[in-house]
Amino acid sequence: MDLPALANCVTSLSCIVTQSTSGLIIGMLLFLVAAGVSLIFGVLKIINFAHGSFYMLGAYLVLTVYGLSDSFLLAVITAALGVAVFGLLFERLIISRVYGSQVLMQLLVCYGVILILDDLVKIIWGPEFKSLGMPAAFRKPPYLVGGGVVPVYYLFLIVLTLLIALALGLAITRTRFGKIVRAVAINPGMASALGINTGYVYAGVFMLGGLLAGLAGALAAPVRSIVSGMGLSVVVESFIVTVIGGMGSVAGALVGSLLIGLVRSFGTIGFPLFTEGLMFLLMAVVLVLKPSGLFGREG
Amino acid sequence: MSKRRNNRRSRREVLSGAVAAAAVGSFPFVSRAQNKPIKIGMPTIQSGRAAMVGSSSRNGCLLEIEKFNAAGGLGGRMVELVARDTKGKPEEAARLSRELVNSDGCEILFDSESSAGAFAIHEVAKDLGVVVMHMNSETSALTADPKLRIPNAFRAARQGIHDSIAAGSYAGKIAKAKGLKKWLSCSPDYAYGRDSTQLFLEYLKHFQPDVEVVGEAWPKLYQPDYTDALTKILQIKPQAMYSCLWGGDLTAFIDQSAIYNLFAQMEVFTINVADYTILTAVKNLPKGIHSGNRYLSTFPNTEANAKWAAEYRAKFNEFPINWSWENATGAKFVLEGLKKAGSTEAKKLSDAIRGMTIESPFGADGTLTMRAEDQTLVNYATGWGQTIPTEPFMPEVTPVDWQVIYELETAWKKKNNYI
Amino acid sequence: MRTSSTLRDCLIALVIFALLAALPIVWPSRGMSDFVIRLAAFGIFATSLNLLVGYAGLESFGHGLFFGLGAYSFGLAMQRLGTSIPAALALTVLLSVVVAGIVGAICVRLKEIYFAFLTLAFQMLLHSLIIAWTPLTGGDQGLTGGVPRPPFLGISLDQPYHLYLFSAGLLVACLLLMRHIVQSPFGYTLRLIRDNPARATSLGINVWGMRLAAFIIAGAFGSIGGVVMSLFVSGAFPDFAYWTISGEAIFMIMLGGTTLFLGPVAGAVMLLMLNDVVTKLTEHYGLVLGLIILLFALGLRKGLADYLAELWQERSAARGAMQLPAAPFAEPSNKLSGE
Repeated sequence: MDLPALANCVTSLSCIVTQSTSGLIIGMLLFLVAAGVSLIFGVLKIINFAHGSFYMLGAYLVLTVYGLSDSFLLAVITAALGVAVFGLLFERLIISRVYGSQVLMQLLVCYGVILILDDLVKIIWGPEFKSLGMPAAFRKPPYLVGGGVVPVYYLFLIVLTLLIALALGLAITRTRFGKIVRAVAINPGMASALGINTGYVYAGVFMLGGLLAGLAGALAAPVRSIVSGMGLSVVVESFIVTVIGGMGSVAGALVGSLLIGLVRSFGTIGFPLFTEGLMFLLMAVVLVLKPSGLFGREG
Repeated sequence: MSKRRNNRRSRREVLSGAVAAAAVGSFPFVSRAQNKPIKIGMPTIQSGRAAMVGSSSRNGCLLEIEKFNAAGGLGGRMVELVARDTKGKPEEAARLSRELVNSDGCEILFDSESSAGAFAIHEVAKDLGVVVMHMNSETSALTADPKLRIPNAFRAARQGIHDSIAAGSYAGKIAKAKGLKKWLSCSPDYAYGRDSTQLFLEYLKHFQPDVEVVGEAWPKLYQPDYTDALTKILQIKPQAMYSCLWGGDLTAFIDQSAIYNLFAQMEVFTINVADYTILTAVKNLPKGIHSGNRYLSTFPNTEANAKWAAEYRAKFNEFPINWSWENATGAKFVLEGLKKAGSTEAKKLSDAIRGMTIESPFGADGTLTMRAEDQTLVNYATGWGQTIPTEPFMPEVTPVDWQVIYELETAWKKKNNYI
Repeated sequence: MRTSSTLRDCLIALVIFALLAALPIVWPSRGMSDFVIRLAAFGIFATSLNLLVGYAGLESFGHGLFFGLGAYSFGLAMQRLGTSIPAALALTVLLSVVVAGIVGAICVRLKEIYFAFLTLAFQMLLHSLIIAWTPLTGGDQGLTGGVPRPPFLGISLDQPYHLYLFSAGLLVACLLLMRHIVQSPFGYTLRLIRDNPARATSLGINVWGMRLAAFIIAGAFGSIGGVVMSLFVSGAFPDFAYWTISGEAIFMIMLGGTTLFLGPVAGAVMLLMLNDVVTKLTEHYGLVLGLIILLFALGLRKGLADYLAELWQERSAARGAMQLPAAPFAEPSNKLSGE
């Protein structure tokens, strides 16, 4: 524990700027993954434990396409779409078969898929960890704001993800598609009786979740190492976020992710050896005080 | 199509083993027992984030074993390597080691697991009495602590204490020369990371007392995001930084630090950069990073070393790395021990290996020794230098004086009541 | 009626133990002995989890908390306190009961998925503690140096056959005890709470208290599984408290079945055998095991033991036999749980 260091930091503008930026980054990438988890749970009442594998696929796809085309933009779009398609296949072929079953059976199915995917990427891309490297457009020195450090790529990530969060929020609250999704989430039986094809909606939500996770993996690739099993850490954190923010709430996922990001970034200063423990503690506190999460609906 | 390298190789192994067995077994007057293959069990990590451990460990051993078999084996008995995936779980490592010995007829164990797995396998060796060669564990306590010592366990890997003394001695000189007073550490938060960092800082102060540790960052092992650590480092603004991050973590760290232009702002000392996994994976390797060698085909700058690296590359289509040479070394000690003892019996083999000196391209002076009193490897080539972004990646390496290492190591053992 | 079924269970337990004891003599294979010891550890652990999942309807993600706690407290007691093995075992169970009491009191208030995640959070907190408290636990290296095994009551666990008998004995004893608990009025009340909590409350049953009791019992037995594992590897590793160990237990009860009492043990046999065989035959463990798991989960969609039991049920129903519910509170969907 290093409380003096923490106190020092929160009283220094440059430290606040730097740590908050870093918290924002962690949070925004986490949000892309957690939003998908939250949506899928909200609409299908399924906890998609395999979501980390979507993320991993996105990273590997961007690696390959960037290597072939030298265009980061093309690579990111391809990766996101690719994982969206995978999400669709996963939903139709695998997870839809266990819709009625216990949560634990769904967990078992996801575990099978995780095992397979982790091995497949090892077979196809090799066991060594890979590195994408920073795309040329972002290879610039960082900005200095109030004495704090803000890297160019990270600024791009934050802005882009905020736009996506906005778009997602609008899509769900303002568009017809959003209305249908919400209707199915609240009462699938009624929605179906009203003529909505719930099967399409389920598939669509999984595709969207896949798209977001694949995008997260692709965008994270320049600043992560890519290796089999990389989805593990992401999926555990995204569950913490979903619990804190509230299952089924995109706004909750955003707030939860930012909270976790900030806890991590300021936590490493004050509690360098117990940062993971802090996150679980936070999760426990939220569950005890308000189980449905900050933005979740009761019951 | 897909990279089925490993599959092809294991099928080849089985095939060549079968052919050899058939050929040998076809002589009616040769008793079966005499030409039964000598099976060596290798629990190792073949999946997940550390899958590189498994492939490089096995490759290192195979190179030695093939030479041994080609020269006739042990009186006609060929060595057969049986590698299994522990998936990085110590309880699997324990179970597999037992299975390899109890059910699969393995007479010797090559422990190519990581440090936690090594302790589990060590207990199995204690229980079953077979010879075990620890190939990858760098935790000094494994051999230094007399409470853990058993006559049939040996270590062929480099050790944390040796590396820290070497690092401290080099860094101390540079600190003195360049006036580097404010230091910060950024190492993975687990036993290896913490022990290595603590020892390094101790020895840095020993060689250059005028240094101050102004901060510490402890990212989690396999943590993909270093933003919080990096921003902390940039806040504190040290003059020099030490890190024992390794593998994918180090690659990610270097890539991420480049965004912040970290390497221009401080001198960086890292134990693990000079290893081809990093050197070839990092897209824009900054120049001027101080690093100790993990494995370099140009250090020692001998024909033997270059030849070994070329053979390895030709056969396996990848660069040899730290685990490759450590496993090759461990395998060689066992194989030479088999020749010397003339038998696979555990006590005879252990007695043969203990104290043995072999010729090796990885030795500081062309030889390597398995020190008798604590059954661990000494006199391996270790040195420090600075990186450049292209091959040979580290053109000048200053070798470390082993006399200095021995002296300080003895003091450290006394301090910890190991002797 | 109850006494006769208890007697029957005891006899079955004795027979099983006798068979297990004879096995290494008839088939001297250390590999097989190792398998049974591991089966003991996981069989006890998985069955204890099923007390929560199958019988109490509490789906816990964090049961590994007790497995890890059991392994570490036993290992530490033997290494640091130098106690005898029975004393260390008793201490471990006592500690687990206390921890389960505290954790359970907080968790069982919540329902379903929130309960699951909170148990997970507590487990990971223990894991973080184990990793951080290096001087006590050895950190990520685990407890090194081996777990001492001083002889007690003429049993010396240093000898392989003794360790085998001890593990098999613990397995049979724990299963028998847990069986007795689920067949008791407590067990039936638990099932009522699982199926219809509102009705239970209206009957004046303290739902929270019963659930807490189930949690504590499950925790106590779960820790015994950890003890056996720590004896097997002669140590304890942070792995034992990581969420993956909870996952393994969950997979075992899913593969084996949650309705039959011995379902989890069957699942443990299945998962261990699959693990061992696949590891032996191929380097592509993930691919093969994953495909097999998918086949099971998507094909059967329930545990193997449950599936077979239902098949048998359908056959005997087809033969026109009358089925009387054998126990009070048995709901139609759980015909088998009374047996």
